[in-house]
Amino acid sequence: MISVENINKQYGSVQALDSISFKIEEGTCFGLVGPNGAGKSTLMKILSGILLNFNGDIQVREWKVSKDRLKIKQQIGYIPQEICLEDTLTAQDNLILFGNLYGLKGKALQLRIDEVLDQIGLKDRAKDKVITFSGGMKRRLNIGCALLHKPSIIIMDEPTVGIDPQSRNSIFSIIHQLKAEGSTIIYSSHYMEEVEQLCDSIGLIDKGQLMEIGRMEELLEKYAMPSLFISGDNIETEMLQRFGKVESKGNGYLLNSDDPLLTLEKLVTYCREHRIEPRRLELYHPRLEDIFFNLTGTQLRDA
Amino acid sequence: MWAIARTELKKTIQDKGLWFWTFVLPVIFIVAFVAIFSGDESQSYKEVVTQIIPGYTIMFAFFIMISMVIAFVKDRERGMVARIASTPLSIHHYFFGKWLPFIIIVLIQIAVLFGFGVVVYDLPLGNPLALILLSLSLAFIVTGWGMAMAVIVRTENMGIALTQILALGGALLGGLWMPVEFMPEVVQNISKALPQYWALQGYKEVILSNGGMADIWLNVLILVLAGVAGGIIALLSYPRFLRQSRS
Repeated sequence: MISVENINKQYGSVQALDSISFKIEEGTCFGLVGPNGAGKSTLMKILSGILLNFNGDIQVREWKVSKDRLKIKQQIGYIPQEICLEDTLTAQDNLILFGNLYGLKGKALQLRIDEVLDQIGLKDRAKDKVITFSGGMKRRLNIGCALLHKPSIIIMDEPTVGIDPQSRNSIFSIIHQLKAEGSTIIYSSHYMEEVEQLCDSIGLIDKGQLMEIGRMEELLEKYAMPSLFISGDNIETEMLQRFGKVESKGNGYLLNSDDPLLTLEKLVTYCREHRIEPRRLELYHPRLEDIFFNLTGTQLRDA
Repeated sequence: MWAIARTELKKTIQDKGLWFWTFVLPVIFIVAFVAIFSGDESQSYKEVVTQIIPGYTIMFAFFIMISMVIAFVKDRERGMVARIASTPLSIHHYFFGKWLPFIIIVLIQIAVLFGFGVVVYDLPLGNPLALILLSLSLAFIVTGWGMAMAVIVRTENMGIALTQILALGGALLGGLWMPVEFMPEVVQNISKALPQYWALQGYKEVILSNGGMADIWLNVLILVLAGVAGGIIALLSYPRFLRQSRS
């Protein structure tokens, strides 16, 4: 169990984190979602032991960060958003560096390097300089450097930024493998679909405060029930209001009601009777972005 | 710590700029200035080479600060500082690992330039122990100051500019280009506040006057204390340096 207790962090007059508390079950994937400047990176830095000057405490199993920082660091593999590799050195040299930093040496280190290179799909590029790698290969090596010491907790800060879909899929399969091996993963990303796809539970953070935390289904049930999406030339708010609460979304409207299927039936009948032909009329399954909107009143992408 | 030192050394050896600043350019300067000043009848040949070879060795030793600034600023901008801070490595070991390769390079630089002086210009070396101690102190102060500068500066360019001011200004005022005795009294007083002055006076004492450890202890102490001050500044500035690191 990872327990974050009442974390506060201030930068000058700015309250970067305000009384953040939550718990993460071991062996699960926890997603941290929020707009830029919400406090995600500050929280990730505190969790990974980079930022030391904060109020509150973090407990990992029986260890408290205030007393057992080194033991906790040994349990953590931090994958930063930046690609932290030595470009002029080979993949093997980079892995040796990070292995050594976690106390791995000699044959044990070489064995782990071989395993990790296999895991990240770079076995045949071990002796090549990182400068010759593509963005996706660098990202995978960046991940590999954090896995050498077999950490039980893996902190990933936007690990798929700026890479092609093929490399993203490759990173996803590494994450699925880590999950299957029982690692605890803390995952921060701007890509909502990634968090939805990978994470068991999600924390929504905005303006330094943890707005909500829970499993995706729980959050959906609480904040964003399925609704209807309708768009077309003659579709107007006044017409839709008789069926439920209306809000505009993109080039159409979202129609919220207690029973979306029944409303769909009524709407189809109404459209037939009044010879209205919607361009799109469908059940809309809310996403993480909708939950965030319902909680904060702002869109995640342009907050 | 050794992992950081090994990696830094591997990277630094690949840097062709460093080889130029550290070995090629100083040799060119030494050859040119010995050629110019060896015809001067007011100074003996021994005095000329004892002024020029240690003088330019000291001046170019300070240029290691440029490589140190580049190494630290790159680490900060690539997020390597934050990444390393997430590992169990302590701050002291991080600094020691980064510092060690540069002190080795400066020691090699001093050995090569003095060796060049011995082979080509018959430079006398005096007491070897005193010479080694003085060289260690010189390497310690330039890398200590280099570390402080590297952690404090916001950009590479700022670091390069400040290094040039320190290296060239210190060379001029510290008597590396011409003996301080030829300078006005005010400048002579200023030069006593510069490590370049104490390093050169130490080398002159060893080479020209056959001085031993007892004759250079003050020079060594001043250089070491100045180097320690640089190291302390670097350590104290680390939290800000870490905050500025990408991650």
